[in-house]
Amino acid sequence: MTVIVFDNGGSTIKAGIVAESSTDEARIITNAVVRSKGDKMTYVGHELDGCKDYSALNYRLPLEKGYIVDWDAQKAIWDGILSDEVLNVNPTDLTLLVTEPYFNLPKIQEVYDQFIFEEYEFKAYFRCTSASLIPHGTLFDKPGLPPPECMLIVDSGFSFTHVVPLMDGKVVWTAVKRLDVGGKLLTNQLKELVSFRQWNMMDETYIMNHVKETCCFVTQDFKRDLETCRSNPKTNAIVQEYVLPDLTKSKAGKIREPDDIPLDTDQVLTMANERFTVPEIIFRPDDIGLERSGLAETIATSISLLPDDLQGMFWANVGLVGGNTKLPGFRRRLTSELQALAPVDCDVGVYQSADSALDVYRAAVACASAPDFPQRVVTRAEYLESGSSAVRRKFPDWQVPERDLRPGAQSAAAKGKGRQREESESAGAKPTRARAVRLSEPQASAAKGKGRQREEPESAGARPTTAARTRTRERA
Amino acid sequence: MPPTKRGREHHARQAHAAVVGLTPDVIAKRTKRHLDELERANYAEPSALAGDEDDEGKYTKGRARQLISEKRVFNIPGVKKKKSTMNVRTALLYRKNFATLLEESNIASLPPTVPTYLTAQAPAPTYPPRLICSVCGYWGHYKCRRCALPYCDLSCESVHAETRCERRVI
Repeated sequence: MTVIVFDNGGSTIKAGIVAESSTDEARIITNAVVRSKGDKMTYVGHELDGCKDYSALNYRLPLEKGYIVDWDAQKAIWDGILSDEVLNVNPTDLTLLVTEPYFNLPKIQEVYDQFIFEEYEFKAYFRCTSASLIPHGTLFDKPGLPPPECMLIVDSGFSFTHVVPLMDGKVVWTAVKRLDVGGKLLTNQLKELVSFRQWNMMDETYIMNHVKETCCFVTQDFKRDLETCRSNPKTNAIVQEYVLPDLTKSKAGKIREPDDIPLDTDQVLTMANERFTVPEIIFRPDDIGLERSGLAETIATSISLLPDDLQGMFWANVGLVGGNTKLPGFRRRLTSELQALAPVDCDVGVYQSADSALDVYRAAVACASAPDFPQRVVTRAEYLESGSSAVRRKFPDWQVPERDLRPGAQSAAAKGKGRQREESESAGAKPTRARAVRLSEPQASAAKGKGRQREEPESAGARPTTAARTRTRERA
Repeated sequence: MPPTKRGREHHARQAHAAVVGLTPDVIAKRTKRHLDELERANYAEPSALAGDEDDEGKYTKGRARQLISEKRVFNIPGVKKKKSTMNVRTALLYRKNFATLLEESNIASLPPTVPTYLTAQAPAPTYPPRLICSVCGYWGHYKCRRCALPYCDLSCESVHAETRCERRVI
């Protein structure tokens, strides 16, 4: 069985073929359809590598807030990856392992199934979230020790940052927390600051992303660094000069070194407190008015929702994955903030690999090579037999309970709202037996369910339970 | 002398009335809009967007929207061009944004014990916000009296007044 892996990120797809012999690295492909204003060309996914003119690129991203919304663009990019231009594989004799965002919406999950089985006709596929693959990888490996049973993954990518605790390799969904700060927001914020203070870079997403990746760092002492930049604006340890690409000779911009000879034609961005105030947003989202607590507090909140006797294990096994965690100083800052928040008797351990953007891909390869992987996938035959419910039965990750997904459930619940109001009005006037009887049963139970969810979640489903039915009678 | 005093009071009141600060909900709206802007794929000035000529997504005569995945044909080994299924066609043609999908998914009506996208949001901060100068990034010890954006000193205040003040407010 040959498996191909798509780690389908908001900015890049990490794709590759899992083969027994070779240890191929991931192909990193831009997950966007990019239009260049310079040469009036449209580049789909992998074709962006061939783009010569990086100024004023217009991005069409298939993912919005981390979730696939533009399937047209996504299909074009996936087509390109499967084609003879990148992986050159025939999907009909392959198994696909694809990652999905945390708390993916049920409707979107169904579209994954439809594309993978109906359009590409993969033989089998496995879909899961990034963090649930990490236990298969080597992030927490320590010589002579078994992998930890409890771990907490901080997944900070392009779209958002998640805190995901895992117990025995399974995600504890009740304690997963999301911070809506990702690489896209940071790049946009840097773009805005630079455009206001220096050059107008609002159209230069590509260049500003490179500036962010080369210049930005996470400060260990925000106050001190801010004072440093203030007291001596031109020459201090923090200020850097970034030479913008001139788009004729040099392809990429770079930081100006002290012994570089400055040219008159160079256009220079002075990077002072922008270097650390931008990544600071992950630790203090309220700096830009996003009223959420910072990453360290969010981790503490997540751990507080876990079983008391295991919390120490989570403090000791924090793993960092995703592109944002590659910012210099990220791990040190998070460790020191966590040490301040952790109980005195808990050790804080933060793990990070050399390239945290690829951890998930590598773990996915390990997962796909495991002997039990063939039992975990859903085959095309199973899908053709029972559709998306076959997929839901088999995949381990978060999904809405089956009863809330029945075709009737949604419309009934929607109608339920109206009915409920109607019902309470008529109940106020003069409740009659006929009124209750006229309500068809699923609607009645949904209407009842909505009102009573807090005490009895069981009655929320579309199926009329005896309890709900009795209550209908009671009120009548 | 009472008349003089009254006159001075009157002036003071007038000066105060000339500067009308923004109400908190207007400021909240402004912050929210700014955060939405930071989430955009191509965050640029609205004027630049208006002049954006984009041949994708346009409706051509007599047929549905031109799809980028149809326009760009890649050669995938073993896959012949065939008609897509109804489900796939629907997903390709009818794009919905995330807010709509979230609303349609109906997860808001699930019992609060079920963890969802909505319940997973990070908690509210326990500490007061830091004020950062909206011009230079240093501590913003003062707030603009018109639009409540923080600034740090007189020179940043004048830059703010000339450029940004009230710009973001609708």
